[in-house]
Amino acid sequence: MPTSRWRPWLLLAGPLLVIAGLLLYPIIRVTVLSFQRYGLKEVISGKPEFIGLDNYREAVSGSYLWKTVLPNTVVFAAVTVVGTVVLGTLVALLLQQLGPRLRALVIGSSLVAWALPAVTGTYVWVWVFDPDSGVVRRTLQSVGLLDPEGFNWFTERLSFYAIAALNVIHHGYPFIAITIFAGLSTVPEELHEAAKLDGASAWRRFWSVTMPLMRPVFAVVTILSTIWNFKVFAQIYLMPGGDGSNPEVFNLGVWSYVSSINQNKYGLGSAVAVLLTLVLLVITMIYVRALFKEDELQ
Amino acid sequence: MTRRSSPLARFGKAVAVIALLAFTLFPIYFMLSTAFNSRAASGTDALVPTHWTFEHFTKAFTDGNFGTYMVNSAIVTVATVLISCGLALLGAVAMARFQFRMRTTVLITILIVQMLPAEALVIPLFLQMKDLRMLNSLAGLVLVYVAFSLPFAIWNLRGFVAAVPRELEEAAYLDGCGWWQMFRLVLLPLVWPGLVATSAFSFVMAWEEFTFARTFLNNEERMTVGIGLQHFFGQNVNDWGGLMAASTMVTIPVVIVFVLAQRRLGTGLVSGAVK
Repeated sequence: MPTSRWRPWLLLAGPLLVIAGLLLYPIIRVTVLSFQRYGLKEVISGKPEFIGLDNYREAVSGSYLWKTVLPNTVVFAAVTVVGTVVLGTLVALLLQQLGPRLRALVIGSSLVAWALPAVTGTYVWVWVFDPDSGVVRRTLQSVGLLDPEGFNWFTERLSFYAIAALNVIHHGYPFIAITIFAGLSTVPEELHEAAKLDGASAWRRFWSVTMPLMRPVFAVVTILSTIWNFKVFAQIYLMPGGDGSNPEVFNLGVWSYVSSINQNKYGLGSAVAVLLTLVLLVITMIYVRALFKEDELQ
Repeated sequence: MTRRSSPLARFGKAVAVIALLAFTLFPIYFMLSTAFNSRAASGTDALVPTHWTFEHFTKAFTDGNFGTYMVNSAIVTVATVLISCGLALLGAVAMARFQFRMRTTVLITILIVQMLPAEALVIPLFLQMKDLRMLNSLAGLVLVYVAFSLPFAIWNLRGFVAAVPRELEEAAYLDGCGWWQMFRLVLLPLVWPGLVATSAFSFVMAWEEFTFARTFLNNEERMTVGIGLQHFFGQNVNDWGGLMAASTMVTIPVVIVFVLAQRRLGTGLVSGAVK
């Protein structure tokens, strides 16, 4: 077979150049920035000054990171990952039970939910919960569950994130459902039939037959959605208050963005960005290990 | 599959399907009914439209710059898909077909850069684009989108290339094909489904991207749909009808792409995970 030592590198030259220039170099640059005083003055002069760990000290000092940003990021990711994976799995199992027509209908509608772009999807949910004339306010008031003066769901941290979670779960479950459904078709039917003959309940068949065979698929979708839901940005930024006016609702990504782009505190923003990257790096290491174990990366 | 389900089980299934469809389709229904409703300002009136209209759609083009945003997004998206899928296919062939030193290092790098959050890179990339005088340029945006879709695209395509039997390639060599000829005649047709799925993913990413577009573009003439939607928010009053009409138009291309690529979307990841 005509293989040359250089051919793989020739093929990889383009992709690696782009990745190095636009992903690896910036991540090094943001790390350097995080150790510098870099504000509007330094953007103009181009002469930043190294200040050691000051930006990190500013980020971790006080209670803001620990009481607001980190819980917003971590609890939100945990709730939405569990929500999307459980709902996605249930839908995949339901799809198996349906006839071809209903199955096509459910897959079709979940494709549309998946296709709803994050930006437009967020606007729809904001409109649904609009404090003045949203459909939720009108409906609750017409059945007497809400006072005439109404309620602004977006100013309270808990209700703000409940709406964001609804949005992210709605947008995220179809990917899980379709991937798991595709994976379920690789589980041999005979195993289920045999377990059924042995008198195993549906619950037992799921845990003892489906789950062990599907573990790699579950591992991949769970870790991927953990990575995605940790760095949810547009869905928070586009909600009322998420664009910078209400620091109570920031997560790590929004805090980093608002600090640097809105307030020109590039050094602090970079330090927060590095913290977010480190968290994701740990999750990714778990991901890489899970893949290595199952696949040997042949 | 044996289907001898009891009436109770059938009832349960029916309830599950109806509840799921209601949850899944409600926001889409609400978006559409607001978009076509001349009394869109109030939520419950928008829920069941009684006064149908197209005015929100036409106003988006006449009052706003929505047509420009759509054209810009289309240019950026097509360029991103072509460049990133082309580059990714080359990378995937290298990863799936060649043994070389540092192969595992490259593969792990690709897996790790996949997780880099846009919010961490937006700061240095903003400064980088500023240095290169590429802020406000669609080409700069394409470069960034290609970089962001490449790792996943290579990873996804790698599985499809690996699934093509080597014997087919060897047969092509025996028939006197050169490497590029083999690539074009044997490999390309067989990894086509993988390319469809991969292009669908990078299409959606580039079409609806928000963070970089929001940061890099500040000229009306250059804006893409993701940020163009913000223009329907007024100081005091929001144009919900216009926003939902515009959102509908932003959503339609993605729905078309997903429906076309439907059968390919889940399989790539599964073939990557289960071997």
